[in-house]
Amino acid sequence: MTFLEKQTDPTTPMHWTGDMQADYFYSNGVAGDRFFKHLMKKDTFLASECPECGVTFIPPRLYCEDCFCGIPDDKWVEVKAQGVIRTNTTAMIDAHNEPLEEPVVMALIEIDDTDGAMLGRIKTDMLGMDLAGLMVKAKLRPRKDREGTMKDILYFEPY
Amino acid sequence: MAEKIEGSPGYAPGTRVSTKDIVENKITYTWWEPEVQYSWSLGQAMSKFLTGLKKGKILGRTCIKCDRVLVPPRMFCEYCYGPTDAWIELKDTGTIETYSISYLDSDARRIKKPILIGVISIDGASPQHGFMHYFGEMSEKDIHIGMRVKAVWKSPKDREGAITDIKYFKPLEGGEKK
Repeated sequence: MTFLEKQTDPTTPMHWTGDMQADYFYSNGVAGDRFFKHLMKKDTFLASECPECGVTFIPPRLYCEDCFCGIPDDKWVEVKAQGVIRTNTTAMIDAHNEPLEEPVVMALIEIDDTDGAMLGRIKTDMLGMDLAGLMVKAKLRPRKDREGTMKDILYFEPY
Repeated sequence: MAEKIEGSPGYAPGTRVSTKDIVENKITYTWWEPEVQYSWSLGQAMSKFLTGLKKGKILGRTCIKCDRVLVPPRMFCEYCYGPTDAWIELKDTGTIETYSISYLDSDARRIKKPILIGVISIDGASPQHGFMHYFGEMSEKDIHIGMRVKAVWKSPKDREGAITDIKYFKPLEGGEKK
């Protein structure tokens, strides 16, 4: 099939461009709010422990997702901001498919003394390697700059 | 801090967050504005169609073999798979094919005066050929399927080659013929 007509006028529109407004607002909820407010003041994480089955949640939860019982305030515990890498990946490109100047290592970190895990950046030179089992601790922002989001955790580094 | 919602069951105490809680940073939250840019390649037919709208014209494409007039225009006929034949200027009048009365705006806020939208079959085009648009100068009580409507255009200097160069379709008064 051939088109009998050709577009030769350079002033005719060729593309329709737009910018989709898709603002994203996530309130942390009661438990998440407590976690981040704690993180703004201290250098440790807050976890919550189920009084029935003893599972320790991080990020903390108001309810145990295994036995559905509520977790009272006295079962909230402070844990060290450190853990062990469970699995990791190395990003060489950014979200727009452009090469990153500095590759980023992301990992799932099982937080010590809890049954939960968190995603975080790892500061390391070991790119593209399996880092499972590596012990890391969180490097937090200076306290005065903390804003109560995940960005307060700058990265995790081996110790 | 956020207040407990009255009357919520004991096993699930809801928590209400007010705008004040957010503005005064009483609660922690994450706010992110993603850059979601897109570029849609218009192709021959749509770029000509939008150029036509800028000039205040609704353009269609004819397929002589199948005796069809396509609006919005296409460079090929999806019935015979042959290239369409010629450009044709159509009237800016039509018939409401289907419609919707929305009491929510595009941000999902509840509104008192509803937004009327629907599909208009454009006069002179093949049956059920047309596009979606807003309706104006009519109430939610007046609107009905089969209603005759006419385009209300933006002033020529405000037109930019977009479907919104037509502001809305209004009821066709004076019994203008098809």
